Amino acid sequence: MGGDFLGALGTIFTPLPFLFTLIGTSLGIVVGAIPGLTGAMLIALTLPLTFYMAPTNAVILLVSMYVGAISGGLITATLLRMPGTPASVMTTFDGYPMAQSGRPGRALGLGITASFVGGLISWVFLFFLSKPLSIIATRFGPFEYFTLILMAMVLIASVSQGSLIKGLISGLLGMLVSMPGVDPSTGQPRLTFDWYMLNSGLKLLPVLIGVFAVSQIIADIVEINRKVERVEMSNKGLLMSLRDWKDQAVNLVRSSLIGTWVGILPGVGASIGSVMAYTAAKNMSRTPERFGKGSEEGIVASEAANNATVGGALIPLIAMGIPGSVIDAILIGALMIHSIQPGPTLFLSNADIVWAMIAACLVANVLMFVIMTGAVGFVSRLMYVPRTFILPVIMVFCVIGAYALDNTMFDVWVMLIFGVVGYLLERAKVPLGPFVIGFVLAPLAEEKLRSGLMMTAGSIEPMFTRPLPLIFLLVSIVLLVWPLWGEWRMRRGERSREVDVTIE
Amino acid sequence: MPDGSSPRTDIALAVLLIVVCGVVLFETRDIPPGTFEPLGSAPIPQATAGLIILCALVVMGRAVLTTMRGQVTVAPVELELRPRDALVVFVLTMAYVLALQLRLLDFAPLTIAYLLLAIGFVVRFQTRLLPWIALVAVITGYGCQYVFTRVFVVDLPGL
Repeated sequence: MGGDFLGALGTIFTPLPFLFTLIGTSLGIVVGAIPGLTGAMLIALTLPLTFYMAPTNAVILLVSMYVGAISGGLITATLLRMPGTPASVMTTFDGYPMAQSGRPGRALGLGITASFVGGLISWVFLFFLSKPLSIIATRFGPFEYFTLILMAMVLIASVSQGSLIKGLISGLLGMLVSMPGVDPSTGQPRLTFDWYMLNSGLKLLPVLIGVFAVSQIIADIVEINRKVERVEMSNKGLLMSLRDWKDQAVNLVRSSLIGTWVGILPGVGASIGSVMAYTAAKNMSRTPERFGKGSEEGIVASEAANNATVGGALIPLIAMGIPGSVIDAILIGALMIHSIQPGPTLFLSNADIVWAMIAACLVANVLMFVIMTGAVGFVSRLMYVPRTFILPVIMVFCVIGAYALDNTMFDVWVMLIFGVVGYLLERAKVPLGPFVIGFVLAPLAEEKLRSGLMMTAGSIEPMFTRPLPLIFLLVSIVLLVWPLWGEWRMRRGERSREVDVTIE
Repeated sequence: MPDGSSPRTDIALAVLLIVVCGVVLFETRDIPPGTFEPLGSAPIPQATAGLIILCALVVMGRAVLTTMRGQVTVAPVELELRPRDALVVFVLTMAYVLALQLRLLDFAPLTIAYLLLAIGFVVRFQTRLLPWIALVAVITGYGCQYVFTRVFVVDLPGL
């Protein structure tokens, strides 16, 4: 294990892979720092550029972008109260007040160091857990896999922002969109409407670019009048002192562990991780009243956790082929484009790729720390680049990206249609994360269910008699019922309070 | 609504979903059952569509109840939204894609024309910005053509 990793690390430090790591991390930070542009958008748009790269270089570039984008959001969250990425929402609560009180360097310094530590701690788990988990996952039968995917779908729907029902709708809609085309099990065309272009189904990349990039461009143009106020940036307090390390040590470790755990849960991304770590930090703080007014603990908790989800989320991707977050779903697409089948056998079939991903995660974290500390002043100026100029240019890149997949304009139209679909779903407060994860996981879930049913001549009994499928099913039911139960109790409490007030 | 959406939007979403899923159910009605495997091709899309309809009905029911109880709250609009601009840029993009598909011009000149119009429209064709827009358009058009065809060896639409 160590030898393989050192080999991958050696590869990364050769000129070209290192250049890709550097470019990926820097671009990720810049995109994360520009409001309205997200890591998912960057990675989806970069995918077509990786077609002609060696697969190792492609994953190195994409993983570096992932690390950079999650970290870059901190800058806008702190200086503009505008989270550059959704994962940095919690940082705005304390980062911005601290910057407003004349300590932007201090706020950014805490965030950068917390991001770095969070990334490193989660990387340790990634390094030590991925292989053992993948070995366990190779023993999974089709029913184990099917119920695990079912649990992942319910999990992401239940914890995604907004209502549970809308999360479920989003996931199911993503599954439905993946179904047109010739059924690989029977050779029977379905949902093709007798149109030959649909025989090969809807491809991941145009759908992704549409849902994440085009819809975001539309939303950004609608809100183009949003003004960005300039904040004076100073580098004072950018590096943490020994005393800071001592004060924040427990918070750093706790938040990183929460972030890593949330990342490991299939389908749950960085936003949830930072919310949970922030809440835990507030509950355990000696000064909870300072949270929301420029608390150092708040910034550290949020940033350590959101970066820790990166390493955590790569664990189920590498070990089981199940995305830990939306960006991981895109990474699965990237692997498939390079003819690499994600799943538990990845360590056997493409060990070099897996170790390159793990090594890239570590090196990108170190580079992120160096770049952010050294160039935060420069990056913060990029936030003011006029979006009126950027958005149509990005649209051109979207068109090129969708076309380059198969050199067909059909994919470009698919991208545009899904851009509108994504925008409308967002307007109706339907989260997009479950949609993409449903789209990626549905074919795998269907394949596993059908092969399981073929093995048992149509009986679903093993789902209830085998321990793991039963556990996954029970967890799914609990995840589905728990939020509804909580909502019902809350409403009941509200009604009884209303009755009490009326009686009084 | 608790998630911040308006009941009208929720009802429209639910109706749209029910229509789409209705089409799916109609389209899959004639798919024959599996011959050598128990499930066949139709049940999974049908079950998925059925579940979406069920969820859409719940969303619609909640929205109707909220409207009937008069609990609709209108969120204050903090900034002037420009949906018309987004629509125009989107229509321009469709025209650009169509022109690329029909190969009316090469990639670079078409991209330059698209960017001039799209950026120009969003900034209301302010005269002082036009040289900058032209610069960005030319760099993007010819820059992309050079980088994608010579460096990344990717085919571009319209070429």
